Amino acid sequence: GRKIPTPKEPMTVPYRMRILAPNEVVAKSRYWYFIRQLSKMKKGSGEILSCERIHSKKPHMVKNYGVWIRYMSRSGIHNIYKEYRDTTEDGAITQLYREMASRHRARAESIQVIKIEAIPASKCRRNYITQFHDYNLKFPLPHRIPRKLNNPRFTTRRPITAF
Amino acid sequence: MLYKRYIEIGRVCFIRLGDDIGKSGVIVDLVDQKHLLVDGPDGIGRKVVRLNQVALTDIKINIPRGCKTKTVRTAMAKEGVEAKLAATSLVKKFAAKNAKAQLGDFARFKNRVAKTASNRKIRSTVRKLKKSS
Repeated sequence: GRKIPTPKEPMTVPYRMRILAPNEVVAKSRYWYFIRQLSKMKKGSGEILSCERIHSKKPHMVKNYGVWIRYMSRSGIHNIYKEYRDTTEDGAITQLYREMASRHRARAESIQVIKIEAIPASKCRRNYITQFHDYNLKFPLPHRIPRKLNNPRFTTRRPITAF
Repeated sequence: MLYKRYIEIGRVCFIRLGDDIGKSGVIVDLVDQKHLLVDGPDGIGRKVVRLNQVALTDIKINIPRGCKTKTVRTAMAKEGVEAKLAATSLVKKFAAKNAKAQLGDFARFKNRVAKTASNRKIRSTVRKLKKSS
């Protein structure tokens, strides 16, 4: 959401930030975290004018998102560029956090999203994204595994994998 | 071809798991390895579903990738997808299963009585045939 704070001085400059957060509370907190680093403003001496949710444009179209992050690993701070395919920015960022957690053991608090941008297919750099850019893409479902492992738990029949 | 049903743009699929179970939609786009953007204009709407939730049908229509719901609707009407879907075994089996689950206690009782009666008839006929042979 957007947040605009004014420090308690006359005619102070409001700042607006676009924060990615699961809820308003975290959003406001992260706002202060970033604003404190970027300007002489703290939560105690400032106020949030408004915190609004920004909805993604065209949530019914699949887009390619390029995400630039800065994250703290156990041995240093690194910049990473990642790409995701999703219908909304929220979705892409959620994917990002899950992936960073699983691949790099990075928790949400150590990740700073610098930028997220819907990029055209020609600008995508990752193979796992560009493989979906084939207009006539198609694939079968050769060996589908039924996931009902406990119902029944023991059986004498082999599972049917073509469905 | 070894495989006849593909995950592709325009393939009509049947939702077999999840909230929208029993509904059908057309694959409009592929999100990633495990997710599809599916559009069933008067059923599930336009939605991202998991591959897991989906069963493919033999029906395929001609639509451009990522097209709007209006385009999907007219394409479906043109190809008569509704009628074709109703004829697929997936839809028929689901409808039958649903109908059975909706039966009241009295209906189940009637079914049981009818089944017992018919089984009895079958068994007695088989016994007679065995005795005569």
